[in-house]
Amino acid sequence: MDFTLADEQELLLEGLDEWIDRYVTEQKIQKWYEEHGIPDEINKAFLDDGFGLLGLPEELGGVPFDTITKMLFIEEMGRKTCAALPLTNNVLGAYLAVHFGNESQQKLIFDEYFATGKNCIALAASEPEAGTDSANMQTTTKEKKGKFILNGTKTFVTDALEASYLLVVAKEEDPSRNNPKVSMWLVPSDMPGVSISPFHKIGSQVQSLCEVYLDNLELDESYLFGARYEGFKQLMHTFETDRLSVSAQCLGMAQASLEDAVEYAAQRYTFGKPIVEHQLIQEKLTDMEIKCQNMRNMLYRTAWERDSGFSIRLSGPLTKRYCAMTSIEVCNEAMQIFGGIGYTTETRATRGYLDCRAASWGAGTNEIMTYIASKQIVGKYVKQ
Amino acid sequence: MNIVVCCKLVPEEQDIQVGADRSISYAFAERKIGDYDLVAIEAAAQLAEATDGTLCAVSVGDDFLNNSKLRKAILSKGPDSLSVVTDTVPEQLDSFQTASILKSAIKALGDVDLVVCGEGSADVYAQQVGMILGELLDWSTLNAVSKAEMESGSLIVDRALEDRIETLKISLPAVVSVSADYAEPRIASMKEILAAGKKPVEEHAAGDFGALPDPAFQVVSVLAPISCERAEVIIEGSDDEQIAAFVENLCAHL
Repeated sequence: MDFTLADEQELLLEGLDEWIDRYVTEQKIQKWYEEHGIPDEINKAFLDDGFGLLGLPEELGGVPFDTITKMLFIEEMGRKTCAALPLTNNVLGAYLAVHFGNESQQKLIFDEYFATGKNCIALAASEPEAGTDSANMQTTTKEKKGKFILNGTKTFVTDALEASYLLVVAKEEDPSRNNPKVSMWLVPSDMPGVSISPFHKIGSQVQSLCEVYLDNLELDESYLFGARYEGFKQLMHTFETDRLSVSAQCLGMAQASLEDAVEYAAQRYTFGKPIVEHQLIQEKLTDMEIKCQNMRNMLYRTAWERDSGFSIRLSGPLTKRYCAMTSIEVCNEAMQIFGGIGYTTETRATRGYLDCRAASWGAGTNEIMTYIASKQIVGKYVKQ
Repeated sequence: MNIVVCCKLVPEEQDIQVGADRSISYAFAERKIGDYDLVAIEAAAQLAEATDGTLCAVSVGDDFLNNSKLRKAILSKGPDSLSVVTDTVPEQLDSFQTASILKSAIKALGDVDLVVCGEGSADVYAQQVGMILGELLDWSTLNAVSKAEMESGSLIVDRALEDRIETLKISLPAVVSVSADYAEPRIASMKEILAAGKKPVEEHAAGDFGALPDPAFQVVSVLAPISCERAEVIIEGSDDEQIAAFVENLCAHL
């Protein structure tokens, strides 16, 4: 078992650190959180310095990006900023277009992505009555005189305000549970009939999370994204590494909170000595370190399994559930070590706590992770 | 146009340990490309790109030059190839010895039109190697170059001095040392990092180039400055009286 990073991985992470030092300061992050967005030039610089090309095919100037390297990269972004900055996800739209878009959709998306560096596609899958229970999806297209009329309500759509396109998952004709005719439609977010309403969240302030109302949108076949009736399969493909990416981001923010807490504990004095010398603080720091190492070990192993062609149907949901829950515990203890300041917005740990909290729902709830994992666990151990 | 850039691996400042006896230990220090040399690499890479030329990085130093990651770090920032002189290089080289080895390594490369050096090394900062190297090669030599471009076979350079900016035209071959503000070093992309591992590296031993000249001086001792306790005098306010007290205190502690 070898945990050594390759030269290339180390150089990539060093380059990312340097990039963050150059473009992303703590002061800027606070400003972006207040203004609910990242300036255009930052997205563009991230692309121009090559980070937005990771995982794209070579003909688009991209380079291969294995799961382990991707996790190291996302973790480092979280560790260095202690913020859920969506930069590492900017490539999502281009990535989806590569895999599912037709030629003209690809052109639209690539042109925009390479000009701006911003994510162009917001995935509109969840609905008020169909989050975890995705089969209950009510959004439909109904064919009428050669047109497809799209109606429905989507919710918790990340990036809906920022992205130029919505990728709407809808059933054809009939919303009933057993209708397998699910397709994806690429719809401009300013198309007549689309209205978007952002939620006010407690964390992840630089990325919008919205309800999207789709009212009698008139589409034709050219709006189909990927193969007809393959929408569900495509959605699962999109989610495949999502759970690991979310885990890596949480781990990074937890690690940052731990590092800040240790630094603070070493210089904060009570009863005549630095609090790092008090046993209750030492116990907290020790458990926080154990938790970060556990998250890291689990994440890297799962990433390695995926890169090596093993199934991650059990380890994926286990990692996601563990990291989503444990990262909050680490940030929470960091806040506690900061004393009263931990309840203010003066520490990065507080931001980490609020941003990590999103992972208990995003990319699948903690509960659905249990549901998926438990079926795998039964299959693994019950001998027929 | 064939360009060479000289660069030096220096200890990471944060890893340098100072002993109670003020001794300085590099034992646990990682190495990195010197900050001024990163600027030189960027300047040379820009010139090579603008002239469709080639760029070779040359470095003289200890065993750290055998580290594959550090080699890739250099090669990911623009150079097409790397030439290292590492075997049998003494632990401490003075500027004249360094320039002598660099001269031989550059001569071994064949046709070279331009050599770019940094403002100084990030550790000793003697600012001499570029000048001595130019003299040894008997080429046009300039330092403090803040801008350079090729124009019909000559190099047009700016030198930003305290009270004026000189624009000079120099013939090639030449050795120029660029100032720290010449350019912002690039951040290598993954594509460049991956390509770096496939670029050629030429290895030389110092002995390949004949005997080293004797050092111009001997180091008697290297010690960290004497650290002093902080005075912790706090003067609050902005009245004339407080400002006067501030100045008085400041002068007293200088």
